Amino acid sequence: MKSEMETGRDWLRLTRIFDAPRAVLFKWWASGERLQQWFGVAGMARCEIETDFQVGGAFKQTMQMADGREFSSSGVYEEIIVPERIVYRTNFGAASMRVTVEFIDLGKQTKLVLSHEGPVDESFIDKMTKGTSSALDLLDELVRSELMQHGEDHT
Amino acid sequence: MDNNQSRVSAVFSALSDPTRRRILARLSRDGEGPVTDLARPFRISLPAISRHLRVLERAELIGRRRDGRVHLIRARSEGLKPAQDWIENYAATWEFSFDRLDALLKEEQRGKSKAGTRTRSPTRKGRRK
Repeated sequence: MKSEMETGRDWLRLTRIFDAPRAVLFKWWASGERLQQWFGVAGMARCEIETDFQVGGAFKQTMQMADGREFSSSGVYEEIIVPERIVYRTNFGAASMRVTVEFIDLGKQTKLVLSHEGPVDESFIDKMTKGTSSALDLLDELVRSELMQHGEDHT
Repeated sequence: MDNNQSRVSAVFSALSDPTRRRILARLSRDGEGPVTDLARPFRISLPAISRHLRVLERAELIGRRRDGRVHLIRARSEGLKPAQDWIENYAATWEFSFDRLDALLKEEQRGKSKAGTRTRSPTRKGRRK
């Protein structure tokens, strides 16, 4: 089953249903040792994740690509409600992004909802992800929506 | 930080401001123009516009050239590409990860259904390159 991607109140939301009870799914998010077994990107050679899984605790992820390049990211847990909800903030250069992971109990299955807030607003991402194939189209969309929202400036 | 990532981050923070998005929208519609023309419709001071322009310039969303004493500004739509790519990659990363998580969960469930036959740990097996 694939994820559903939508933009709504938050700028990007991914939803996916897993064939596992909520408590089981949650466990896979609750430790670095388990996270590093599944989280990663295609073409990655190695992934290490360290977590201090508690509110205020930090996590750090280091990924090494097959070609030797290395990426790392880090963040802080802001809210943890076992087995329902995890909120963390992750740095994104100058900006930061808040991610909420919700585990919705469906009996033998669990619906996972991953919502992002920041660093940009949803109207922008909406245009970025919906049907616009090139950067030029995107800018075009932006122009139309910005001018529509604000009227024809005050010329 | 990875260079591309800092580029993306610069684009995102540049675009997070509505005035900067409007500046970009105008430039894209009207083409190249002097800074003073650009400032007029926004009812904000020239120094404030200049600050916005510097942010857009750092994000490579606009280009600037000088014609004598006049600074001419134009939109660079190609500057948006890294951010657009990033979002696509980001969603793809989760999809890739979720597929792996899905496989681990299935393995774990299978392991449980034949409890007692603990030949190998189900949490180890899913570990691929």
